[in-house]
Amino acid sequence: MTVKWLMHFQPNQGTTLTSQVMAEACAVAESFPGVSRDGRWRSSMTFYRAVPRDQSLPAPSDLPRDLIGISLHDLPNEYLFVMRSQRLILRAHSSVQTVMDKLQSYKGRFFINFEGLQYKWGDFKLRIGKCLYNPNEALRGIVMEVEYLPLSSIDKSQRVMEEFYEIWREAVASKLLAGQFINTEVNFVEYGLGDSYTPQHTAVLYGMCVVQVIASSNKNQ
Amino acid sequence: MEPQQLAGSGDAPPKQVAQAMDRLGRAARLIAEIRLGADRILEALLVSNENPRLSEKAAELTLGEEDAMRRHFLDLRTVGKQLEDSGVLSGALRSRGNSWGLHMPLVCPDGAVVAYAWKRQLAGQAGASAVDRARLALKAFSDQKRRFFPQLEDDQLNRSNNDTIKFPPTKRPRLSHRPTQSPNIDSTEQKPMLADILKSIQTEAPGVTISTCQRLEWSKRAESLASTMNDSSLEQPKEQILSNLSGSFNEVAVIELVASGVFRVLVSLHPAGSTDPDAVAFFSPNEGGSYLHSRGMSVHHVFKHVTEYADKALQYFQSSDPNKALSHLLSWICSHQSLFTKNCSKCSKLLAMDKSLALLLPPVHRPYLLNSKDHDQDFATAYHIGCSSYDV
Repeated sequence: MTVKWLMHFQPNQGTTLTSQVMAEACAVAESFPGVSRDGRWRSSMTFYRAVPRDQSLPAPSDLPRDLIGISLHDLPNEYLFVMRSQRLILRAHSSVQTVMDKLQSYKGRFFINFEGLQYKWGDFKLRIGKCLYNPNEALRGIVMEVEYLPLSSIDKSQRVMEEFYEIWREAVASKLLAGQFINTEVNFVEYGLGDSYTPQHTAVLYGMCVVQVIASSNKNQ
Repeated sequence: MEPQQLAGSGDAPPKQVAQAMDRLGRAARLIAEIRLGADRILEALLVSNENPRLSEKAAELTLGEEDAMRRHFLDLRTVGKQLEDSGVLSGALRSRGNSWGLHMPLVCPDGAVVAYAWKRQLAGQAGASAVDRARLALKAFSDQKRRFFPQLEDDQLNRSNNDTIKFPPTKRPRLSHRPTQSPNIDSTEQKPMLADILKSIQTEAPGVTISTCQRLEWSKRAESLASTMNDSSLEQPKEQILSNLSGSFNEVAVIELVASGVFRVLVSLHPAGSTDPDAVAFFSPNEGGSYLHSRGMSVHHVFKHVTEYADKALQYFQSSDPNKALSHLLSWICSHQSLFTKNCSKCSKLLAMDKSLALLLPPVHRPYLLNSKDHDQDFATAYHIGCSSYDV
């Protein structure tokens, strides 16, 4: 799998996030020469909470209370689980969601959808999307995924991604958007992940990013 | 070439079809050899023009190539005769009653080979493929002319309507260089052995894994790479070392160099077992499939540009120091380990926007000029396409 970075939009102090920012971010992407629109993308995230079988007994301590389930746009047949407290990631077939519904051991508490536009720029792929809180479709944040197609090694692609990030930030600043994109920094080693990029890395990035998006959105409300 | 067996009317149609396809394949390879020979002759002429001291060497090379090309033409004529006799070029056998439903492959007037003529008619591709082939031929000739006769560009290109790439009239050709000292060519120097060259490169560049194989082995390996890349449920397996260093080198035709996480480069040797490289191509380490070979092209822009530049480097090494062309080429390739980490020696940035290509690329041009001492050749500088000066 090829290397990705994930950023979220941090609005300036005192400003609120609106759909206008999404349109402006897309305009920044489209302003680079050679960029071409490449369709739409959509991922979704579910926050599960454990449902104890017997209310009177204390919950077993080794089972996670919270689970994040992620369905990624580029892996429609798979479903990933992230257990942040245990630093574990599980990769399963997408039909596991049916199993979860039947078992009822974990119930979905709330849902987040990511959807937006995809761009191709030479060896880079950019995906800019809204982070929408289901079911009322409230806009919680704006994320951008950057993928560098030739490389799968995180270490070897580090400098390329850093320079791209700088180029992107400068472009956003020059177009006077009311905020900046912040990169999601993750220590993959803590999750037992290696240098070779995998969907598990993406799941961890989204898990961390959403936490930051929700925190930033709560602060600004 | 082994004696040809004409597919007589006694042979079953499937055998005839198989033989016809085999001959067509052979014909295509011969045509490729002839094209390559033409390239080499033109290159030799160019070099001897630039540097009169090398003209004797160039003349030798030209004569050798001429012999080879003459043989190729004779072989091609033989194969062509066989194809004609078996009805491939004329479609005469299409209406044969006892053909088991099989038809001889048909070579259409525009050069396309069609295994089943009726399919071609159904698809109605005749006109479209003729236009495509004409366009491809024009591009191939333009590229060759640009490379060998850049001084003609000023007049020709301004008049040409189809060629959309414009060059400023002041641009000097890439291959035109005026070295202060020419590389030392000693025609009595012994050619180093393949095994020694590979061992010394391995010592020089420990970060690069080098393996060798025969041509057919490589096709199988390329296909297997495609399936391991597609299987995303597994962690990428460690690079399988097919190192051939202990075995016989007589039939080695492909050298594979892998820098983990950075590139996979294929160099082909011609003839097999020799130390003469004839093609080179760069790929991403996560690419796999039958298009992965020394004349293939990566799907990624960065590797496409490095490969194009590598072609020029190869031509240069072959013409300036043929005995050591492979060593120089392999050293030059290994210097690309820092492709994604080394800043441009001119603008000091890693990524730069190339306005004409509308792409963001790292420095993909690494100068390949040799200086007169063959030691200390470290190919240490790198430039973006736009930053690269004209006499690299």
